[in-house]
Amino acid sequence: MRALLLLSVLFFYSCNDEGKTEFTDWAIIESYIRPGDYFNIKVTRQLPFSSDVVYSMDDINNLTISVTCNDTVYYLTPLGEGAYIDSSLIVTENTEYYLSFHFNGLAVSAFTYIPAKPNNFSQSATSISLTRIDSTSGFPIGGFTMPDPVELTWDNPENDYYLAIVENVESVLDPIRDFGDNTPPSNIFRKSPTTLAATEIRTQEFQYYGTHRIILYHVLPDYAALYNENTTSSQNLTNPSSSIGNGYGIFTGLNADTLYIEVKEQ
Amino acid sequence: MRLFLGFILLTFCVYTLDGQQRYEFNRLGSECNLKYLVYNVMQDKMAYKRPFVFVVGKPHETIDRTFMDDTLRTLPQFYGYTFVYVPNEGGTIQDKVSCLPAMVSWLTQGYKSRNNNVFLFIKDQGVSTADIQMMQESMVSFKNAFRSAVLAADIVPSNTSGLLESFKATSVEEEAEKEVGNFYIDENADDPADPGISSIGTVKSYFGPPSSYNYTLSGMIRDRSSGEALPFATILVKGSSIATQSNVDGYFTLFKVPTDTSTLVISYIGYANEEVFLTPTLPKQNFVVLLSPASALLKTVTIAATKEDVVISKREDISVIKMTPKKLEQLPNLGERDIMRSFQLMPGVSASNESSSGLYVRGGTPDQNLVLYDGFTVYQVDHLYGFYSAFNANALKDVQLYKGGFESRFGGRLSSVTEITAKDGNQKKFNYGTDISLLSLNVWAEIPMGEKISSIITFRKSYKGPLYNKIFDKFNSDNTSSMVTQTPGGPGGGRFTQNTKVTSYFYDVNGKFTYRPTAKDVVSLSIFNGTDKLDNSIDNGDLPSFGDFTPSFSFSATDLTQYGNFGTSLKWSRKWSPKLYGNTLVSYSNFFSNRDRSQEMIRTNSSGESTTTNNGIFENNNLKDVSIKSDYQWDVGSFSQVQFGAYATQYDIKYTYAQNDTATVLDRHDRSFLGGGYLQSRTKFFKDKLHLLPGIRLSYYEQSDKVYYEPRASLNYSIDDRFTLKGAIGKYYQFANRVTREDILSGSKEFWLLSDGDAVPVSSAIHYIAGISYETNQWVVSTEAYYKTIHGLTEYSLRFNPSPQGVSYQENFYSGNGYARGIEFLLQRKLGNLNGWISYTLGEARNHFDVYSTDYFPANQDVRHEFKIVGLYKLKRWDFSASWVYASGRPYTAPSGAYTVTLLDGNTADYFTVTSKNSVRLPDYHRMDLSVNYKLLAGIQGDHKRREIGYIGFSIFNVYNRTNLWYKQYTIEDLQIVETNINYLGFTPNITLSLKHW
Repeated sequence: MRALLLLSVLFFYSCNDEGKTEFTDWAIIESYIRPGDYFNIKVTRQLPFSSDVVYSMDDINNLTISVTCNDTVYYLTPLGEGAYIDSSLIVTENTEYYLSFHFNGLAVSAFTYIPAKPNNFSQSATSISLTRIDSTSGFPIGGFTMPDPVELTWDNPENDYYLAIVENVESVLDPIRDFGDNTPPSNIFRKSPTTLAATEIRTQEFQYYGTHRIILYHVLPDYAALYNENTTSSQNLTNPSSSIGNGYGIFTGLNADTLYIEVKEQ
Repeated sequence: MRLFLGFILLTFCVYTLDGQQRYEFNRLGSECNLKYLVYNVMQDKMAYKRPFVFVVGKPHETIDRTFMDDTLRTLPQFYGYTFVYVPNEGGTIQDKVSCLPAMVSWLTQGYKSRNNNVFLFIKDQGVSTADIQMMQESMVSFKNAFRSAVLAADIVPSNTSGLLESFKATSVEEEAEKEVGNFYIDENADDPADPGISSIGTVKSYFGPPSSYNYTLSGMIRDRSSGEALPFATILVKGSSIATQSNVDGYFTLFKVPTDTSTLVISYIGYANEEVFLTPTLPKQNFVVLLSPASALLKTVTIAATKEDVVISKREDISVIKMTPKKLEQLPNLGERDIMRSFQLMPGVSASNESSSGLYVRGGTPDQNLVLYDGFTVYQVDHLYGFYSAFNANALKDVQLYKGGFESRFGGRLSSVTEITAKDGNQKKFNYGTDISLLSLNVWAEIPMGEKISSIITFRKSYKGPLYNKIFDKFNSDNTSSMVTQTPGGPGGGRFTQNTKVTSYFYDVNGKFTYRPTAKDVVSLSIFNGTDKLDNSIDNGDLPSFGDFTPSFSFSATDLTQYGNFGTSLKWSRKWSPKLYGNTLVSYSNFFSNRDRSQEMIRTNSSGESTTTNNGIFENNNLKDVSIKSDYQWDVGSFSQVQFGAYATQYDIKYTYAQNDTATVLDRHDRSFLGGGYLQSRTKFFKDKLHLLPGIRLSYYEQSDKVYYEPRASLNYSIDDRFTLKGAIGKYYQFANRVTREDILSGSKEFWLLSDGDAVPVSSAIHYIAGISYETNQWVVSTEAYYKTIHGLTEYSLRFNPSPQGVSYQENFYSGNGYARGIEFLLQRKLGNLNGWISYTLGEARNHFDVYSTDYFPANQDVRHEFKIVGLYKLKRWDFSASWVYASGRPYTAPSGAYTVTLLDGNTADYFTVTSKNSVRLPDYHRMDLSVNYKLLAGIQGDHKRREIGYIGFSIFNVYNRTNLWYKQYTIEDLQIVETNINYLGFTPNITLSLKHW
């Protein structure tokens, strides 16, 4: 019995060797690969939650990063600030890209491919007219009618993910409504990613008059999933791209087509 | 008494011939000087413990003449009786008779049953019935001395049946049976010879030759006071290794009983070891043995070794712990006597999970522990966040925990089995009782209806006492929140407390109705229903404002959890023959859990416009299990028992998990049939030293459309009376699993899911167990080592995004495998006023999931060291107990850092990295509990024997107020992460009043 007690006491002393916190200096990758661009990525470090962590000695600006496509290996050139580029490698559609480098003693790898350019991307209107509303003008006499939504359509036989982003390209923004004391909204808004072959822009989504660029991205499911997230759920812990091994961030291919629409004052 | 004190003893043999011995009682000249003759065919020294017949001769007859003329002693019915021949010469017959009580008192001193088994036969025709009546009325000592007195004048020589009947010895059981309930015996009683103290117990009353040899005895073990059948009691032929165990309905069959005058030793936890002296006249079938609760025998350790154990590790079985709720109150508890908590004090069962009544056995999870309540499976054993078990100790009779290597008759689980047998209810007397604590009210009643029906109903409900609120507060302001860090640029934060309105309760109802139409049949209906409603909603008016642009911010959160169980079984058991027993059971078990954890946030800007955002988690789980099964036990011979059975189950399990009340993340509804059978044989070899239990179980599972074979075997070998070697190996499958939904921020949760054989595979395990135990009457030392491999584990995690090729949320199930290994030590003192045990477990449980890492990582339930010490001390009416548990910290996964990604629309999103899976550990867990119970007694103070009517208990949980961590919660609010420690209960006193009326 004494021996047992002694044994137990010994164990108590020997079992507290596990650390309280643990931090791994993972590489964070941020890269959207689009056809026509030079192949480029950005590597950063994460911000730790505890103050006494040890970063790896590796220089984030001087990594040997290789990318393999069509069985050819390319080595990226550092540009500083964690940015890397290969000026001989121009991204092309339907190509797979394998990224690899070493950071903090780990082999970091990532993979993506470039989806096809959206096909038959078209819009139901190239311009719409909206009534200006402000606190001084009051409601228009006799009311007003809202124009029909702008319908965007494209081919999507495979039920892939598409994401439409609408951006006002004017240098000076001319608000449609009076925003009062509120912060003025951004000049960009987006639609939810969809696997359908159409989406519609409701006229009240436009905040400013002028020329708008409508970009339809053909995205991969890993990117589309970012928009399904709930910021208060534990999905903030989700690695945005699961194709990255021993690292975090986003490394995804995409392809886009662009249309324009004019928002005029009625 | 006066006479007795005046007597001076003169005893010595004059001569001995054919069992005759001659004595003289009192000095010459005393009015009670009697030269008498004692005859006893056995001539043994235990003569005083036999039935006595005092024979008074005819007037003026010599003692020799009386002896010669008497033929009673030659009758076979009186074989073994002691005959005392009293001369009827000199003095009057009345004088002689008046001396007899003193003589009886002398001769039968220390013989408990003398009042029942001492008879008087008067051959003097001058004595009439009226004389006897007068004696009985005028002399209390005479009335007490003889059970019956017969006059020769009343006997018709040709018909002695009346005489035989009058002089028939009474067995002791009938006498003791009147004493219903538990009794407290005052240890301060001065008179050591007081029969009330020293002579409870069965007494040998037959001394004749045996009439049967090597025969089979079958019967039943029951509680003496309530008539409850006692399952899993051990029946041993004294001085041999011939033994058996009663089954779940208390029936037993004992082969090769050497003679029908052998002595049986019956042992059952919480009861006194009872010696039963067989006689040729006792039945050889349907033989009923009655056991008394151990507390009735406080002072009788000198008569029989009274085991004081509260829980025991069974010597004859591998990895089995047995417990009777009867003695549970002696252990420290948290408001309620709790069987599951008590098991957690034994080696191999983790004690550091206050929030789970479910058992973590040998690196297994609670869902891998099969919980059978009267034959039906219980899927959830928690009340009030797991601080209390769903089982009301007042409704339970027997609990056994098989920690591993279990038999083929159990299936569908990977780790262990908890077999719970509910009480049938008192068959003799209506009684009821209540337990009131700071947490709950518990009432019960046992209602017999006629001879054949018994019933028990128990009801328990929590009320909002201080203890209840304390536990509830664990989820709110009681926890320590601290800002860990914040991403650059984020606004500052701080601590705040939240107000919780508690409108929560739990209740449970147990009922059992037992009908015994014949001695061979038992039909019982058992019902179990328990529900928890936990409303932990928060409503905050105004919180400190966050950031610059949010002038006002209000927040209300709904956190409503409702879960419960409903289960019922209808069982018919029949003892078809002394060798064949079977039961068939139809059961239904339902578990449901609905959780709504959502927040409503209202932000109001300076112009009074408000925006409302709703988000949260909605989780529903509903499990239904309809089963039928039949189990048979065939005692082939003294060396072998064959058990076989068949079963069929229809499962129906639903699980939905939704976020933001519209986005259903997971919606599964699986149904499947599971059916099969088993065959196992318990065989003894080498003079019963080696017990071998091989078996096979096979199951067909509809979802995977496969047949699963589970071969298993266990053995134990008794090296000698004290050392036993044990070993087991077996394969186990599990079809319904509680899958862990990984949630690093708010704590992982589990839900029941049915295997589909694909994304959620059928899990399997292989056990290897070896052990050795050393047991004396007083001590148990045992050690067991185990190793088990597990395949087909499932976890659900939303931490991993779809790959570029895309995977639907429905498929975020990840499969892995694992192993658990460890070694357990137990040192237990079973006897004496101070008893208890020390246990130590060195264990490891590791899993491997490709998605988490390439290596094995510690499983959530991995605990390296567990040390437990339990001491129980009895002092008069007080029962003291203390326990201390130590467990090394469990692993967890924590957020470790943050990074920002710019999205295509120009916005940025913040993400958090986590440590590698379960790579950080919570601090070590340790805790001390104390309790003291004071027995409440009925009757007059000063009486040496008083009925126990309950107790007042005072207990302290976590005496030195150790802050033990349950888990960590992380909240991300406006770019910052807040870490909250959810702690277990601190210093918590409790008072329990338990009363029962017999």
